[in-house]
Amino acid sequence: MGTGSLGRTWPAKNKWQIPGGYENGENINSQSLPIPNQKNGGQRTVHVLHNSEQPASVFAILEYGNKVVPLIADRLFDLVILKMTNVCTDKKQTKIECKGPRFELVDFCIKLGSVTMTQNFKGVLVEIEYRPSVVPANCWELIREFVQGFLGSAVSSQIPQYLQNRMNEIYQPMDTIHQYLEHFGQYRKSTGVI
Amino acid sequence: MEQLQISLSALKVLRSSVGQVFYSLANGIRAEHGEDNKENKYLLELQELLTTVGTNLRDVEQAVNSLNPPPGPFNLGNTAYLGQETTQDRQALYGTLVNVYKWTDKAHEYSNAAHQILSQNSLKRSSMNSNRAKRNRIQTGAHNFSPPQVDQVMASFDRLYSDMSISITRPFTSNAVIHVTLGHVLKAIIAFKGLMMERVVVKSYNEQLDLWSESRYKVFQRVTDHAHATMLHFYNPNFPELTLKSFFAWFHSFISLFSDSCKRCGLYLHSALPPTWRDPKSLDPYHFECKP
Ligand SMILES: [Zn+2]
Repeated sequence: MGTGSLGRTWPAKNKWQIPGGYENGENINSQSLPIPNQKNGGQRTVHVLHNSEQPASVFAILEYGNKVVPLIADRLFDLVILKMTNVCTDKKQTKIECKGPRFELVDFCIKLGSVTMTQNFKGVLVEIEYRPSVVPANCWELIREFVQGFLGSAVSSQIPQYLQNRMNEIYQPMDTIHQYLEHFGQYRKSTGVI
Repeated sequence: MEQLQISLSALKVLRSSVGQVFYSLANGIRAEHGEDNKENKYLLELQELLTTVGTNLRDVEQAVNSLNPPPGPFNLGNTAYLGQETTQDRQALYGTLVNVYKWTDKAHEYSNAAHQILSQNSLKRSSMNSNRAKRNRIQTGAHNFSPPQVDQVMASFDRLYSDMSISITRPFTSNAVIHVTLGHVLKAIIAFKGLMMERVVVKSYNEQLDLWSESRYKVFQRVTDHAHATMLHFYNPNFPELTLKSFFAWFHSFISLFSDSCKRCGLYLHSALPPTWRDPKSLDPYHFECKP
């Protein structure tokens, strides 16, 4: 499933209607829950994310120095994380959510999520997925045309950093998670919370 | 039949106008009647509605009067015995039976239409021999190829393109069904009779292939339709390998299905679909709406 997701802050009042597309009430709901771990000196962060597109899975990304370890587990993993939060120091836990309507137009899937960080509105993320194609490189230009078609030429044509060296690989659900995390990281930095 | 249709619709109109009266009665005086004279206005509205009911009633009576009562009971034939069925699970059979009749009628109608259209367009899938002496000999049509011969031809096409792989299965007797994988773009399943293509289904790279279900994506549903058209376009009963060669060349051009822009309008998308049509000669990509 080829996806390009691009981040962009947007005034909250805009309403969206896609002619010919149909809306369903499903929300994308990705939340992030970093846990600082002070053992062995270096700082480790576990990001736990849920995506309503894969409701039975929990995505976890462990950041340790320059290393990144991704993990996909079933919902029981949430309980493990719950136990871990008691062990770790529970300071500076941030929870970021991205919720909004999901549209389908022919084979495209469009999600408009407003990002909230501990109840504060941060911005809007637009995710465009072109589901027939599994390799990002094949459909990148097509997605770009689609996005610029409704967001205007202000949208940059640049490939998101995460995708840059994965353009010719088969797209996985984890790739979407990584891209959301990248954007959440930027929102966190802009507020000064780690 | 037409009279019955008219009276039924007249009855429907009557019911809806009666419904209007009750709706108005149930709501009583509403805000749109204003402040002054609201009772009078409400009464006028009711009166108007009642007049409509009267007119509609007259229409129904007229329509009913022009109907002829059916002569005697309907003859249901053997199906009448279904009413005497005592087993619980067979009592609902009558409705199903009527549906079956409707379906057979429809199938009959469609096949008649198809027959007519096909007889106008001579798409002959086998070469008929009018010569009587020759007719008794085994014909070398596209469908008379032995499995090893078919395997050999398929293997040659498998080697032809590096990004297109072909595998053969034979789920139905000796006829080959091949799975074609085109890069990471799409997959197709093609059913053969000898070396004659019978059916093509194109799906996305991550979908399950089978002969009977179509892709869940609109793009591949379109490509499947075009593949059927192209399969007939290239068809030549005397040179089956040439047919296949042209078809696979056409099919291979879909390697860039998502990365080609339309030759005419220069855009990637037209009503949210990429160019799914390929010119059979030049293999240039076009949107179906833009094709020359
Ligand atoms: Zn076009």
